Amino acid sequence: MRRIAVAAVMVVAVCLLFWAGWHNLRSRRVAMQQAQQAQVTMQKDNAPDAMPDMAITTNLVGKAAPGFTLVDLSGKKVSLADFKGKPVVVNFWATYCGPCQEEMPWFEEFTKKYAAQNLVVLGLNLEDGVTKDVVQKAVRKTGATYPILFADDKVGASYGVGDYLPVTVYVGKDGSVTEQTPGAPSKDEMEAHIRKIAGGA
Amino acid sequence: MRGSGFWVLGSRLRLLALLMACGGVASAQSIVGLPAASTGKGHVTFAAEVVEVPAGKAAVVELRFRVEEGFHVNSHTPKDELLIPTVLKLEDAAGVKVVGVEYPKGSAFKLPGDGETLDVYQGEFRVRLQLVVPKGQSTLKGGLRYQACDSAACFPPRTLKVDVPITGK
Repeated sequence: MRRIAVAAVMVVAVCLLFWAGWHNLRSRRVAMQQAQQAQVTMQKDNAPDAMPDMAITTNLVGKAAPGFTLVDLSGKKVSLADFKGKPVVVNFWATYCGPCQEEMPWFEEFTKKYAAQNLVVLGLNLEDGVTKDVVQKAVRKTGATYPILFADDKVGASYGVGDYLPVTVYVGKDGSVTEQTPGAPSKDEMEAHIRKIAGGA
Repeated sequence: MRGSGFWVLGSRLRLLALLMACGGVASAQSIVGLPAASTGKGHVTFAAEVVEVPAGKAAVVELRFRVEEGFHVNSHTPKDELLIPTVLKLEDAAGVKVVGVEYPKGSAFKLPGDGETLDVYQGEFRVRLQLVVPKGQSTLKGGLRYQACDSAACFPPRTLKVDVPITGK
């Protein structure tokens, strides 16, 4: 009788162990699925490939370039309208941005190379709380001699510029935008965009 | 004889109880850890950990940060004065004395083409704090100021909130 009781207890114990193991396995699977779903969502949200989409919030290609009047490093007012009929490159940049300063010497080189085509490059500094001294230091470092203007968020927003710099907008002689490029392109890509608005050198 | 049978039954039941207790503990554990925090648009995360250190003595605490893949932040000592260094700013916490802050060395990152070489943090980096904490619970609060870029563009400087719960024992 006692042996039967022991055997019954053992059977119940083994059943309980199987149930505990099965329950544990099921919990693991549910947790694994939740973790995988969370990770997939994170990768989608944060992928560097998504940056260009965030970088420009307004597509201006084919539209008239938004007008602006801003102050340059010497305190002089400069308007986009001053360059009517000329090919214009509007380059948004910041002093803390290495890739921005990488491309500024190329713009300088192209203003000279395409001088006969009246190419104009405007460097629009877009950053909060920067001092004129710091901007001047960055400009000296890059060797840029084209107009450097202090932009504000309103002008940035009118060109669809977010947090991601540089952004360059190529404006044809007719005043319409031919290209908006987020991030620093290669020098060849930059020249190809310039050729579109200025013609051959 | 009866006593022996009871003892056998008791032993098996004890074994069963032990096995069931182990099973219970296993299922109560966090089996697969979910990501601690999303980098969101900031591209840097802080791995918040509960820290236990001896009370009243100088102790080293490492704060772990992670830069999102494909991005970098300037090190604490970037080579160019125009670049914004990574800096941890801590608020005064009652009884907690920050004796020292030690930043890791950066690694070289060359911008594409003929670009300059930057001194940056990529992936995980750890800031070491030397602290003296009182007995009991304290929270060290502050922020990590950094500026993130990928190889083609940059984001404005940001400050990541850093809260470190510390227990002095």
